[in-house]
Amino acid sequence: MAELHIIGQIVGASGFPHKSLFCKWGLQTGCAWKLLSGLREGQTQVDNPVIQDMAYWSHPIDVHYATKGLQGWPKLYMQVWHQDSFGRNELCGYGFCHIPSSPGTHDIQCVTWRPLGTWQEQLSQMFVGGGPQLKHSDLIYTGADRYRLQTMAMGKVHLQLSIILRNFDQYGVEY
Amino acid sequence: MASTENLREKIKSKRKALQASLGGSRQVDDNRASVAVEIENGARNENARKVEEIQNEDEQVENLKRTMKAQRQRRKKMLIDDIDDVHSEESIQEVNIITHQQRTLPPLPVPTPRTSFAEYSMREKMREKLKAARSKAQSAIQQEEASAPPQHLTPFKDQTSVIQFDTEVDEEDMKTAGVDELPHPSSKVRFHEIANKIKQKSKDGFPSAEEAYNFFTFNFDPEPEEAEEKSKKQKRVGAPKKIDHEEESEGDWDEEESTIRTEAEEEEEGEEEDQPLVKDNMDNEDDYLFIIDQTARDFLVIRAPDYESYYSRQQKDKKVLFTPSILTVATSEKIPEDMQPRFLEDEGIYVGERPKVSKSNQNILEHRLLKNKEGKKWFGSDGRIIALPNPIKQTYTRPPIFSLHEKVDPAIETFYKKAEKSIDDNRYIAGSMELQGRFQLDIDISGIVFTHHPMFSREHVLAAKLVQLYDQYLCRQQHNLAGLYSDKLCALRNAVKSITDYHHVHISVTQRRLVEYKSEIRTTRRMCHMEQEKDWTLLKNLVKVWKDVKSLREFQKFTNTPVKLCLRRQQINRKADEINYEREIQTEVAELLEDYQEEYENKLAEYKKKYEEWKAWRKAKKAKKKKKKSSDEQETDDTEESSMFEEFPKPDPPEQVDVSLVEQQVRTTAARIRRKPGEPVLTPELSMTATVTPTNQCPRGEQLRRQDVQRSTLYAKIIFNNKEVSRTSSQTLSADFRIHFGQIFNVQIINWPESIKIQIFETMGMSSTKTEVFIPIPETTVLTGSALIDEIEFSNAHRITFDHEGVGSGVPFSFEADGSNQMILLTSGKLACSVSWAVREDGVPLIPPVLHENVGVQRSLKHVDAILSIGTSGLTDMKKLARWAAESRLDPNDPSNACLMQLIMSATSGEALDHDYFRLEQLQEEFNFVSDEVFNKSKRFRLLQLRNEEVAEFHNFKQVPILDREISEKIFQEYEKKCHEKDTVDITSHLDPHRALVARFLQKVRDSVKNRFLLAKHHYILSDMVVEEAVPSISSGDSRMLGISLFKLAEPRRPLRPRRKERKKVTAQNLSDGDIKLLVNIIRAYDVPIRKSIGGKPALTSRSARSINETFSTSQIPQSPTQSHEWFTNQTSVRPFVEVSFQRTVRQTSTAEGQNPNWNEELEIPFRAPNGDYSTASLQSVSDDVFINVFDEVVYDVLEDDRERGSDVHTRVERHWLGAVQVPFSTIYSQSRIDGTFRINTPPVLLGYSKERNLSSERGWEAVRSLSEGSYLSLFITVEPHLVPGEAVNEKMIEMLRKLETQEDEKLLQKAEKFQKEVKQKFPNRRCVTLVTDLTGKLVFITRFIKALSPPQELLDAFPQDYEATTELVARYVSLMPFLPDSISFAGICDLWCTSDQFLNLLAGDEEEHAVLLCNYFLAMGKKAWLVIGTAIPEGPTAYVLTYEQNQYVIWNSTTGQYYGQFDAFCPLQSVSCLVSADNVWFNVQKYETVMRVHFDTSKPNLWKPFFSRNFPFPGLSSVQPEELVYRRTDKAAAVELQDKIEKILKEKIMEWRPRHPTRWNRYCTATLRQFLPKLEFSRGGEVGDDHSAELQNQLGDYRISGFPINMSFSELSPIIEAVHSTGVHNTMIPQVEFALAVYVHPYPNNVLSVWIYVASLVRSR
Repeated sequence: MAELHIIGQIVGASGFPHKSLFCKWGLQTGCAWKLLSGLREGQTQVDNPVIQDMAYWSHPIDVHYATKGLQGWPKLYMQVWHQDSFGRNELCGYGFCHIPSSPGTHDIQCVTWRPLGTWQEQLSQMFVGGGPQLKHSDLIYTGADRYRLQTMAMGKVHLQLSIILRNFDQYGVEY
Repeated sequence: MASTENLREKIKSKRKALQASLGGSRQVDDNRASVAVEIENGARNENARKVEEIQNEDEQVENLKRTMKAQRQRRKKMLIDDIDDVHSEESIQEVNIITHQQRTLPPLPVPTPRTSFAEYSMREKMREKLKAARSKAQSAIQQEEASAPPQHLTPFKDQTSVIQFDTEVDEEDMKTAGVDELPHPSSKVRFHEIANKIKQKSKDGFPSAEEAYNFFTFNFDPEPEEAEEKSKKQKRVGAPKKIDHEEESEGDWDEEESTIRTEAEEEEEGEEEDQPLVKDNMDNEDDYLFIIDQTARDFLVIRAPDYESYYSRQQKDKKVLFTPSILTVATSEKIPEDMQPRFLEDEGIYVGERPKVSKSNQNILEHRLLKNKEGKKWFGSDGRIIALPNPIKQTYTRPPIFSLHEKVDPAIETFYKKAEKSIDDNRYIAGSMELQGRFQLDIDISGIVFTHHPMFSREHVLAAKLVQLYDQYLCRQQHNLAGLYSDKLCALRNAVKSITDYHHVHISVTQRRLVEYKSEIRTTRRMCHMEQEKDWTLLKNLVKVWKDVKSLREFQKFTNTPVKLCLRRQQINRKADEINYEREIQTEVAELLEDYQEEYENKLAEYKKKYEEWKAWRKAKKAKKKKKKSSDEQETDDTEESSMFEEFPKPDPPEQVDVSLVEQQVRTTAARIRRKPGEPVLTPELSMTATVTPTNQCPRGEQLRRQDVQRSTLYAKIIFNNKEVSRTSSQTLSADFRIHFGQIFNVQIINWPESIKIQIFETMGMSSTKTEVFIPIPETTVLTGSALIDEIEFSNAHRITFDHEGVGSGVPFSFEADGSNQMILLTSGKLACSVSWAVREDGVPLIPPVLHENVGVQRSLKHVDAILSIGTSGLTDMKKLARWAAESRLDPNDPSNACLMQLIMSATSGEALDHDYFRLEQLQEEFNFVSDEVFNKSKRFRLLQLRNEEVAEFHNFKQVPILDREISEKIFQEYEKKCHEKDTVDITSHLDPHRALVARFLQKVRDSVKNRFLLAKHHYILSDMVVEEAVPSISSGDSRMLGISLFKLAEPRRPLRPRRKERKKVTAQNLSDGDIKLLVNIIRAYDVPIRKSIGGKPALTSRSARSINETFSTSQIPQSPTQSHEWFTNQTSVRPFVEVSFQRTVRQTSTAEGQNPNWNEELEIPFRAPNGDYSTASLQSVSDDVFINVFDEVVYDVLEDDRERGSDVHTRVERHWLGAVQVPFSTIYSQSRIDGTFRINTPPVLLGYSKERNLSSERGWEAVRSLSEGSYLSLFITVEPHLVPGEAVNEKMIEMLRKLETQEDEKLLQKAEKFQKEVKQKFPNRRCVTLVTDLTGKLVFITRFIKALSPPQELLDAFPQDYEATTELVARYVSLMPFLPDSISFAGICDLWCTSDQFLNLLAGDEEEHAVLLCNYFLAMGKKAWLVIGTAIPEGPTAYVLTYEQNQYVIWNSTTGQYYGQFDAFCPLQSVSCLVSADNVWFNVQKYETVMRVHFDTSKPNLWKPFFSRNFPFPGLSSVQPEELVYRRTDKAAAVELQDKIEKILKEKIMEWRPRHPTRWNRYCTATLRQFLPKLEFSRGGEVGDDHSAELQNQLGDYRISGFPINMSFSELSPIIEAVHSTGVHNTMIPQVEFALAVYVHPYPNNVLSVWIYVASLVRSR
């Protein structure tokens, strides 16, 4: 019974057109995975960097999984949101990354995108904020037909994850 | 020669050893080397060579030896000339030998651990050259070699083979050799020098980096002439086999090398070697010396860097490089020579457009291609490079997406969402990722039908009744249960008949079936009769009500309602009917008879059996009698008695059933429940066809009523989560009291639906009434469209009367003229509405993902469908359902069960059922590491998960073991047990089953409350996360503070008047074990009981107990000389010390003396939080108490021999418990410090002590106090470091609650908030309580708790005359209720108030509950009583009771039953902030808040600010308390049983606490004590001590007794044990000590138990 312990943090985000960002994150696993402890989703605070462009959240992640199979290796998906000067929240990017499968500390950069929407939507987004969002947010990490979506590249989310694996070698998994 | 032979042997062995030792390591290096070296060839030969080598090994060795010998001799000659040659060393020697063996592998080019590459290759070369030289020697062409002895040359063949072998290696060596070729191996001298250097260094293993560098960079000057010469020579020699010319060129100095080698070998053999070798050694030494003089500088030549001119380089490059030109290639070159270029395009053939390539690039490519062989094939016939047409299309092939909403896959659909502010509601449905729009509830309000309305006229009432009955009738008619049952009966009868007809053979199966059928028939018949009866009575009622209506209409001469009932008669064939009727009766009778017969037979059989027994007995008796008569006459009495005792009753034979009687019975029931035969069948039919009398024809009252009806309008408000979301249009009440709204409200929600409420407002002129209807939150399966309109009944308790015909509501009225048969009807009706989840256009239901909070929502859908009533979500176990169906014998033919049956059928058929789903992760099973069972069984995972879930048992479990086997199964046992037996009562741990139930109930309440608040707890606000110290500013309100601190600076220092400084608060998170200490400062005590002429008495008693009858209190007998050793203990009245015990850690002060001792000592006690969890919630739930015990230290002299008195001191110290103060840790924690004077709880009787003040005359002020006041202790307790009490959490909770739910009026809530804010501003320290939380978590106004409730009658009857005694008894009764602080039971949550009946049921509560109960009792007893909210020591914020008696105010501590006058200095109540009565709350706005200085006259608004004043009058809040408290009598037997149990357990415990000493029990004393305890209870611990101790002393004269009774209320066993332990009775170490322990449990009503424990230790006096 292999165990996976993810300890780390969502360091921050860079390269976004806006400042004042926050992030909602979650972990998605297959059905063979069992959450032993920790929170599998959360939300960071809003960071509005004064100097430089990178927003720092340093949001801790500490999740302990047990698994009986390799399928559905955990993915970390996130939504970056922007809080504008009126306190309104609008979507700024979707992204996901796989949890690294080798033990040790990993610095991960997760690129994000957001749906583009029609030109009318883009226009209204420019003037009144808001923006197109996915109706089904699981599309962030499921690959189905995503290529048809017209999207726009956004910034990167920086993650620092330390992975502890246990007992995987007992089941013939090498890393 | 013998010596040489010997030598040879030695060399051989040595070599072998070396080979063995070095072979391994070498091999590896060589292997590695091979890769780099294998450039030329020779690799192929290696395998072959290997074989050869093995064969030749021995020969080689031989050869080598021989050659060595030859060379040695040769060398001897040469030595003189080239002395420089003499060198080489062991390592080289070894390597040479080894390489000899492993020649198969190419030499090592990389530096090895032992030798550098160069060194090695050099050696290798030397070796080769040696071989060459050898061959030369053999060929005997060389003159030098001529002197070689012939025997060395003999094995010629072998030699050649070796050479052959060597040369091959040399081929490989070519590369390395080649490296050296240009800088040809130069002067021997230099080489040797370097070699020597290396040798020198390699003594320590490796050449240094510098040397290696020198070696490689060193330019060995070529000696061209010599090389040429030699090569010529070599050519002349003509090596026997293929030898490369390079090799040959080197040949000449190879010879020298060979000499080097041999010399090296000699060196190695140095010790054994004879004279010349010694000389060699000498030479070597010379060599060393020589080497020392050399430096690397000597070998270096500084040169300018090589420069090659650009031109020459270009020339060189030209030779090797090809640079294609960028000039156009002539077409002729590109096509075959004899052809003309052909242009297909010109010929009219289509040629695709070529991709664009720049001309120059194309030219370069063409040049390059042409340079290649067959380069022309790349060119087409037109002389251009063959190319495919340009692949880039000019037009877009991907179809553009025109409209986003037509073709887009729903999976990737996006929607435009406006930027919006997040809603800060913690009950927000969506988790972090679920922001998928809104959820929607559709609330359909179709209408209201009143079943009673205040404006109903009498006729309406009847009509409503009629309609109701008719509805019922229709409903029954539809179900037709009676018909169904009679059909079933018929069928069953037929079945029975068929069985009896066809199966004459009595097979067991049929027999059994018959029996089954018969029982079925019986039950069905009973059901059938019941249903028939119901039908019949319904019909009769219907007719009766209709008749009433008719008579009423006649009486009042107008018609109000259109109701009309027609009874349709259906004539039937009288005869047939009669026959039918008769037949049915007959069958029934027959069946009954059969049953009776069966019964009779059974009975008869039984009778017979009994009769036989009786007969036998009688016979025996007779026989006995005979025997007796013959025997002794005296005994007969006894035997007769015994036989009389055993008298066997003669059984009565059963009676036969009378047929006629049975028939009679059947007929009467039939007459009662059924239509008489021949009577027409009546079918009622209700129609609304009666004409209503027009208004103008009605009498005045009726006209008014109708006008009122028309004037009144109704509308409904929809309240979702206590917020109005919408309201219907206003509708006028129609004459038939039906309102049709027919409106559907779509409620888009983002919050969890918690309650849906519809308020029906009825306005009639000015007044309006409000009725609330709660609508259940729909199941997730209830969607719009499929939802059924549900009729929800509602009613309203408002009292409404009219002066017109309307009957009103809540008012008695009567139909009879004389006013009898009154009835009270309340406004009631049915609201037809439905609530369902909306469905989007695309069919997606708008339901929040999980609706987990619908526990406890009662569903009104139950009668709709069986499945629905179970709840689709709850319907998981089909098998269970099937079993239930089988057990309950559902009738499969019943149409109402059809749906269920189908479901069950499909469920039970099991495997055959097709699953309507597919697996998403198909190969999951195949790739699983472990099976699910193993996975789920893992104890580690389980532990981790439980810990994560914060299950109480595993919360803060530290360090989960990494292996499963390290986790013991026991960990889960308790938890599993708890999960399993939630409802069964465990009596072993709780002595009293009721307590166990209460404990369980409390646990449940706690769980539910906890779950409720869990969400709120995890919802953080800014202040939870960010701690910001407020910056003191001068400008704002804090300036006062600053001013004071400035003033303080100027203050004179007063070191003799220390003050307690405010300490910095420490947050609990970063604490660990041992960080927290409890500081207890014991200052002084007052009025400690003193010894009653201690020591003297027991001694006296030992001699005079039997003779002196006078009491001890009066006996003042001087010490006898024999007891003089006790004189010094007797000199002080008491020597008390204080012992503080907390969490089983004990600290004690020094011993002080006298009645008013002064210790002033600080004790430090470590504090340990449960599970090492120092979070606020955990600290709040610490239930440990600090026990502060006062002991008297008694010193006894135990010196045996008086003669030693002068020299020895031998005393025994005994400690006698005097009393205790008990402070719960939770109080200390919440108060952060406790400072004050406490009353010591002294037992009512302290044997050997009295509270009389002998010294009272000395100090005047003490005499003022009465004797009964007891002793006091001044204390200061605090926690170090200062912990932040979990106030923040509580406040948040209350905030939460305020939002959550309350039934209070909005106005009241606002007023309460305002009131609280106002007073908080003026008096921030005074606690204002207006709204409190009840047990269900709702906010309730405090006055609702106060209501006169009578105490148990038993208590009132106890002292019929003595009013005061009764009062005290009541107070005592309340104080006996076990105390359980809320902060413990509801850790980290908040203060919950129970109503008095809940309190009595739970039998556990804190100050508030006690005070409320006591206050209610006092009110019932006719006293003026208030609830006092204030602070007290040590409880902190608390509630007391204030009464006004005989012109003075008395303050009652409800938890102890004590009472104090207003001016009592030792009253624990420190401040008064609120008074609460049943109808108002007063806040103390006086300057002072101490009890003594407060005026309790609430009528003065300048002293007491009332909550309800003239501006806001008391709205008449109804009480939440019950009408009356019901008391259960406590089972006396149970009390006795409990008493025994406690005694047994305590005795066991005492023995357990004394592991090293035997514990003897004095039974006599125990019995005495036991008799005494009930008396104590009766006097409520009053002053009976003196009599008692005298009595005790009388009876146990020979003992010195010290002991006392302890009184507690009983809640659990552990506090009792703890209390006994804290007294330290068991600590007596006196040998021969005996103990006595008696327990008495006095039962009070409602299972309130007063436990008395008398513990005493007895020491036999000499």
